Amino acid sequence: MIKKTEKTVRMDKVDKQSPCDEEPGHSITTEISRETFVGEIPIKQRACLEIIGFGEENKVIELGEEEVIIGRTPECGICLSVDNVSRQHARVFFRNEEYFIEDLGSTNGTYVNSIKVVRCVLRNSDQINIGGVKVLFTEEKTLQKT
Amino acid sequence: MPANEDKPLVTFWGTRGSVPTPGRITEKYGGNTPCVAVRYQDIHIILDAGTGIRNLGIDLVEEYNKVRKALSLHLFFSHTHWDHIQGLPFFQPAYIKDTNLTIYGSPHKEDFLASILKGQMDFEYFPVGMSAFSADITIHEISEEVIQLGEVVIDRQEQIYHPGGSVRYRLGVDGKKIVYATDVELNQIFHPHTDTKKNKILAQDYLDFIYNADLLIADGQYTEEEYPSKVGWGHSSIDLLLEIAYQAQVKQLAIFHHDPQHSDKFLDELWMKSRSEFHSDYKKMDVFWAREGLTLAI
Repeated sequence: MIKKTEKTVRMDKVDKQSPCDEEPGHSITTEISRETFVGEIPIKQRACLEIIGFGEENKVIELGEEEVIIGRTPECGICLSVDNVSRQHARVFFRNEEYFIEDLGSTNGTYVNSIKVVRCVLRNSDQINIGGVKVLFTEEKTLQKT
Repeated sequence: MPANEDKPLVTFWGTRGSVPTPGRITEKYGGNTPCVAVRYQDIHIILDAGTGIRNLGIDLVEEYNKVRKALSLHLFFSHTHWDHIQGLPFFQPAYIKDTNLTIYGSPHKEDFLASILKGQMDFEYFPVGMSAFSADITIHEISEEVIQLGEVVIDRQEQIYHPGGSVRYRLGVDGKKIVYATDVELNQIFHPHTDTKKNKILAQDYLDFIYNADLLIADGQYTEEEYPSKVGWGHSSIDLLLEIAYQAQVKQLAIFHHDPQHSDKFLDELWMKSRSEFHSDYKKMDVFWAREGLTLAI
C-alpha cells in the first residue's frame, strides 16, 4: 500500500468534499493500492530445463519451487535412462529466489559449462552435462496467466 | 552440505575485482568482490572478506541455526584494500557469540592488521564499531612459515608487485594443492623488459609456488589490450597468466578478480577464445572464469 500526501495526489479518487478542498494547505492521506498506482501486470519467473538430443524431440521441463532429482531410475523427477547417468545423479533446487544444481555423488560428475561442479547457481543459458546428456537451463519472465 | 564432503570443497562467493558491480550484465559471474571459501571436513578457511563474504555468512548462519554447533572459522587476507575487507562488517557469524574467528594477514604492513580492520568500522565510515562483534576473534599477523589447521597445511609468499603488497596462499590438503594468488602484477615480473636478477628470482618463486597446483585461483583482471594503460595498478593480464600457469603444469586455473568493466558476455567470449588452447597430448590445463555461487571438489 502506498501513502501519498496532498502535494502529490493527483487522481480522481480524491473526495471533492474532503477537508483538502475546504481548507487549502491542510494535508490528507489517501491510500492507493499498488496495482492501481503502477498499473501492475502480473509477471512470473519461468525457469526450464531442456533435455537436448535425448529421444526424438527435445524435452522441456518447467521448474517450480520443489526440488527435482535427475537420475536413471524411474522414481526420479527427471529420468534419463542412460548408463553413464547415476541412479540419483543430481538435484535441482530453488533457494533464495535462485535455482541451484547439486551433484549427488554421481560416478561421472555434473558439469556446468564444462566445469565439474559440486554445486552451482544456475543462470540463463547455462549448459549442464549429466552423464553425457546435455541439458539447457533457461529463465525468463512471462505474463502470469490467471 | 553437498555430497563429496570427503574432498576439499572450494566455493566462490565473490569474484569481482576493485568494486562491487551489481546489475544485469554481471549476474552470471557475479558482482561481489573477492571471497573464496575452502572447506575440508570441519575446517572452514575463508580467503579474503570482500562483499562476497556477506552471502557466505548467511549460509554459515543457516547451517549454525540447524545444527547449533559453534562455528570455527579461519579468515586469511591477501591484503587490506577495500575490495578485500569491505564485507567483514556484514559477516553475520562475527556477531554470534559462539563463533570462533581467527583472522590472518601479512606482518609487513605499516599499521597493525587489527588497526586497519578496526579503522574501516570507525564511525566516520560505518555505523557499528568492531567492538560490536560478539564472536571470539583473534587477529594474527603471520610469523610462522607454515600454518597447520587439522589436516590442512597453509604456506604463503609475499607479493611485492601490488601497491602496498599482497600475500598468496597455498593450501595443501588430502594430497591436493589449492593456490590463491590474487592482486599481483605478473607482467612486472615476467615481462622481458623487466628481466632483472631480482625478477628472475621472483618469477622462479612464483612458478615454484603454483607448480602442479590442482587449482590455481589467480588474478587475471586485464586483457592484453587493456594492460598497457594499467601498468603499475597491481593486476595481471590474462594471456600472460595462462602461459605461466600452463608452464607450471597447473591442472585447473580459475581466472579471478574480474575487471568491473567486464560484462558476462565479454567474459564468456574470453573463455570461448582460450578454453581449447591449453590442452595437448601430454599436458592439460582446464581454464575457467571464476563465478559466484560455484562449488568445486578438488
